[in-house]
Amino acid sequence: MITLKNVSKRYTTTTFGVRDLNFEIRDQEFLVIYGPSGAGKSTTLKLLAGIIKPTSGEIERDGQSLLDVAPESRDMAMAFENYALYSHMSVRDNLSFPLRAKAMPKKEIDERVERMARTLQISDLLERRPGFLSGGQRQRVALGRAIIRPANLYLLDEPIGHLDAKLRNRMRGELKAMSADLNATIVLVTTASREALALGDRIAILREGNLQQIGTPNEVYFQPVNEFVASFVGEPPMSFLGIEPKSDNGKLLFQIQGCNDCLEVPLQLAELLNGQKEGYRLGVRAAEITVSSQKDADHQVAGEVYIVEHMGYCNIITTKLGNGLIRVITDSTVAPKRGETIWLSLNAENMHLFYQTNALQHPSHYRDALNTNSIMTGAR
Amino acid sequence: MATITLENVSKTYGNRVEAVRGINFEVKNGEFVALLGPSGCGKSSTMRMIAGLEDITKGTIYFDGKPVNMLRPRDRKVAMAFETYALYPTLTVYENLAFPLRCAGWDKEKVDAKVQEYAQLLELTRLLDRAPSDLSGGQAQRVGLARALVREPACFLLDEPISHLDTRQRHRMRQIIKRLHLEKGFTMIYVTHDQEEAMAMADRIVVMHEGVIRQIGTPTDIYRDPADEFVAGFVGEPPMNFLEGSPNFCDGQWMFRSGDRQFPLPKWMQTQGDMLPGNLSMGIRPFDVAVSTESSIPHDATGQVFVAENLCDYAIVAVDMIDVRFQAVTPTSFKVERHQPVFLKFDPVFMRFFDKATGKAILAPRD
Repeated sequence: MITLKNVSKRYTTTTFGVRDLNFEIRDQEFLVIYGPSGAGKSTTLKLLAGIIKPTSGEIERDGQSLLDVAPESRDMAMAFENYALYSHMSVRDNLSFPLRAKAMPKKEIDERVERMARTLQISDLLERRPGFLSGGQRQRVALGRAIIRPANLYLLDEPIGHLDAKLRNRMRGELKAMSADLNATIVLVTTASREALALGDRIAILREGNLQQIGTPNEVYFQPVNEFVASFVGEPPMSFLGIEPKSDNGKLLFQIQGCNDCLEVPLQLAELLNGQKEGYRLGVRAAEITVSSQKDADHQVAGEVYIVEHMGYCNIITTKLGNGLIRVITDSTVAPKRGETIWLSLNAENMHLFYQTNALQHPSHYRDALNTNSIMTGAR
Repeated sequence: MATITLENVSKTYGNRVEAVRGINFEVKNGEFVALLGPSGCGKSSTMRMIAGLEDITKGTIYFDGKPVNMLRPRDRKVAMAFETYALYPTLTVYENLAFPLRCAGWDKEKVDAKVQEYAQLLELTRLLDRAPSDLSGGQAQRVGLARALVREPACFLLDEPISHLDTRQRHRMRQIIKRLHLEKGFTMIYVTHDQEEAMAMADRIVVMHEGVIRQIGTPTDIYRDPADEFVAGFVGEPPMNFLEGSPNFCDGQWMFRSGDRQFPLPKWMQTQGDMLPGNLSMGIRPFDVAVSTESSIPHDATGQVFVAENLCDYAIVAVDMIDVRFQAVTPTSFKVERHQPVFLKFDPVFMRFFDKATGKAILAPRD
């Protein structure tokens, strides 16, 4: 287990790479570090690798400090975004280099290289030099070179980010299978939501050098600690509505900002409000709402169709509601025109409530989802 | 605003590399068209010829019916935006936007009105006093887009402008670009290798591969009725599954036989069984494959679970058969173990068939 204790990295007096990080990387887990550019993801990886040293704080492995251990003695394998391949060597030699350095028998080296090349779909490129490869091909070679040798910890910085969609989808599966087969600890950096959810046993979400939340995909998806995590995990991003609590004949209502619509406030939510009028927002995921062309018992709130995105298997409809925008996923046959009115099934009970960007309450029906972490049982 | 027509347009670099091979298409006035394809397909060369940054080797490009082959880029009234933008580092965001207008001799009030309008469209109003060095990548990009647009070109060309952004920023930019198109009515040509961006934004998509056009159509047409196996595999995430096999007449009906798997061909193909090519490829999207752990439920194929990915609102299960890996979308409540035997059922309505020899789709008779 690797533990980060109050780890900060300051680049200049005012700019931090990361600030006061506290979390652990468990043995044999697949940890995804996820966040926007400039969040400190790569800095975290370099700190783990020992390429840079923290300005303050401690990094330990099984209780022993790693700070004075040289990078090459940390038993870690790395693949970084700017794939530094040996330009004078063929792809085959690039892949076999880490194994030859470990004095592995030639036959075994050849077998491993061939197998890795098949997995990465670069078998026909083995005799080429890196200069004659496309960016995506180079990235696969760099990934292969990192994961071909046994290591205690694999550090992968956006290893499949530059591949085309089809290959990325395939590599994602291969990485996931590899993590199960190798029983290795993997830390992977990404800016893609789908990759983070699909790969991670846990996801650490960073923003501007600060850890926002760390948890299983279901935890960060269903119980985000704040609006940032809520909007950053999941696709399309969560929609938010500014609301103001008001009471009407003794009944508490949420007035949607910028329009006349109100949502009824369930009792358990009412208890959470601290009497403030401002700073509340409701969050809702696109897959959680349904729409109807007519007002009915479930669809009580009118929205104006703003943008329709045809994704093939579904449509993403963005509607204007008050001064907010709400995204809804619908069947691909539902294709209203821009400007039309559609009715939304908005219900405060099924929405996330935030106060000053921090989560106050999550929908109760999400609790079932939290009881199970992965749809893959057993194996890991 | 302009209608743009390409007639037998080719581009050859040196006297060898044929990047674009005699393509024809039209972008109507006010239309949003995406040029979609993998790297090296010729999409960027095509766009650069429209912009006038590359000579046209053969063929003609028309703007509103007038050939523009000989016009210089600035005389074509096109604006271009790339993934990277060179903003003037010493000027504020406001000045960056105002500069091209002042150069064109606009008076102060008109400049201000235009800058404010585009700042609002691209969600830059609060950033107008900032220096470019104080902007995030996504912000700098929006400034770049606004600066390309303030002069209100006849046509707006974008080359992979948002491919490097994170998921949240990409969704936001998709909406901003789409809104820009809807509210200002620019003729837009959007070059991308990302099928999701093309699907989400474009009125029509031109799919290119190896210098030729494979299909032109609306996102829904291309997704549901791909013209060939390449388009079928390139559009859609997760990608379409393919199974190779041949038609086989058995027990009074036409079946699709692939190894030891066999299932009936869809109804509309039954009448043309004799005319079908000997080697077929069946394509089915992961959303149209049902997975079960029960062998007693009717199924078309069997395999073992390779991996399962939980995406929280749905899951993707990859299944290894003897010869091929299939993916299926399942609810997250579906539980499997690695290597567990599972049974697949394909929705006959969404099966698509391709001639293995030519790659072309077998078309349903029009009624």
